[in-house]
Amino acid sequence: MMDRIAALGRLGLDIVATVGRAGYFLGGALAGVPKPAVGFPLLVRQLYSVGVLSLAIVLVSGLFIGMVLGLQGYTILSDYGSEAAVGQMIALTLVRELGPVVTALLFAGRAGSALTAEIGLMKATEQLSSMEMMGVDPLRRVIAPRLWAGFIAMPILAVIFSVVGIWGGMLVSVDWLGVFEGAFWGNMQSSVSFADDVLNGMVKTVVFGFVCTWIAVFQGYDCVPTSAGISSATTKTVVYSSLAVLGLDFVLTAVMFGDF
Amino acid sequence: MASEAYITLTDVVFSRSGRRIFDGVTLEIPRGKITAIMGPSGTGKTTLLRLIGGQLKPDSGTIMVAGENVPRLRRKALYTLREKMGMLFQSGALFTDLSAFENVAFPLRVHTSLPEDMIRDIVLMKLEAVGLRGARDLMPSELSGGMTRRVALARSIALDPELIMYDEPFAGQDPIAMGVLVKLIRDLNSSMGLTSVLVSHDVPESLSICHYACIIADGQIIGEGTPDELRQHPSERVQQFLQGQPDGPVPFNYPAPDAGSDWGLTGGAR
Repeated sequence: MMDRIAALGRLGLDIVATVGRAGYFLGGALAGVPKPAVGFPLLVRQLYSVGVLSLAIVLVSGLFIGMVLGLQGYTILSDYGSEAAVGQMIALTLVRELGPVVTALLFAGRAGSALTAEIGLMKATEQLSSMEMMGVDPLRRVIAPRLWAGFIAMPILAVIFSVVGIWGGMLVSVDWLGVFEGAFWGNMQSSVSFADDVLNGMVKTVVFGFVCTWIAVFQGYDCVPTSAGISSATTKTVVYSSLAVLGLDFVLTAVMFGDF
Repeated sequence: MASEAYITLTDVVFSRSGRRIFDGVTLEIPRGKITAIMGPSGTGKTTLLRLIGGQLKPDSGTIMVAGENVPRLRRKALYTLREKMGMLFQSGALFTDLSAFENVAFPLRVHTSLPEDMIRDIVLMKLEAVGLRGARDLMPSELSGGMTRRVALARSIALDPELIMYDEPFAGQDPIAMGVLVKLIRDLNSSMGLTSVLVSHDVPESLSICHYACIIADGQIIGEGTPDELRQHPSERVQQFLQGQPDGPVPFNYPAPDAGSDWGLTGGAR
């Protein structure tokens, strides 16, 4: 019994210590802004690897999810003779929920795991240590550009996801199933509010981008510098990011849309 | 010791994961000389370099480098001090996404505002010093282990440091590569007037180039002096290490319970 209580206490202390290290790490990375001449090229390079290289998976996923939404929406709504509302259903679902959430999950799996593995390998091969010994702070040089790239790329990817998803939904419901195009776009335009739906969705993407990137770079920086350690850190990145996104999504949805 | 000390460790105590790595280590490393720090694997030789470089903080004691107490330095002052240091890591630690040329140019680009043609000249001079001017465009994955360390050495001297620390430079090297590294360490020390700290357990190579050496074991310095003084050292542990004897004061066997109980000869086997 006492052993279990002691183990619980140790677990609690470990969690508090990890959160403390993560906070200290985030502060160090955000505080040290490199000079624009040095920092901008590093940021652009990371935007490419974190953002541009995630485009393919986001585009394809967005297209198929939009097409599935069109198909499912039409099937359900046509029972009530309301198939003209399929446009607004697709848009609201994507802008409020699926765009931010699915993009964040894809982002954690594609870019987050890559960030963790890259930073973990740099640690294991002593590249971060050698940088420190050259008088270069790895938090500023390696971590900060990746962190900012994640913050910037994730909302843009989510917007692209939603746009492509709406287009995919239109392909199915209008071009294939024959929903009247004017009703599809008109209903969407009249029911989607920029302030309530689009902006709230954007707030979610910013929060998810921040959390996913923070988890990814911290797990890489804090990993045990062995192959098993990097593997474990990469897994943790995907699991923690996914859980954090889903949990935060509920909290944010309750705050944004819970005014019943 | 005749020369003025560049690094002074006084009563340094350092523990990690509940294990005491250093238990009151006091050591002076002379300016402009090669000092070898030797000892069996796992005795904290690399940890000592990390303490000197400020990557780790001791539990107690002072570590003075170039007149600065490293553990007390604030972040900016520590990074400024590190510009006077070079370190050759055991793995080389080259940046894998940069060519040999760009690896050597890295500290120059970060810490100086020299024009590109001057950076090019300096990088080629440093690569020439380690015999790899012709390998400038190779990526780290295209370099052999010995070449990797030589490029890393060129990078660590790019800013003309006052101090250079070598972490196991000879480990895993073939005889030719080892000979090249021994020559480079000796030549660089004399031509650039560097203070060199060499961590190694390769006794013949280390003693052949160092001016001063010490042996660490069980968290303490068990022997120090010039190579000749160490060879004549009365300590059995020092002699066991220098002569590579498999058994002696440092036992061959890891501490274990009575052999009889392990083979079930005296009962109570698990």
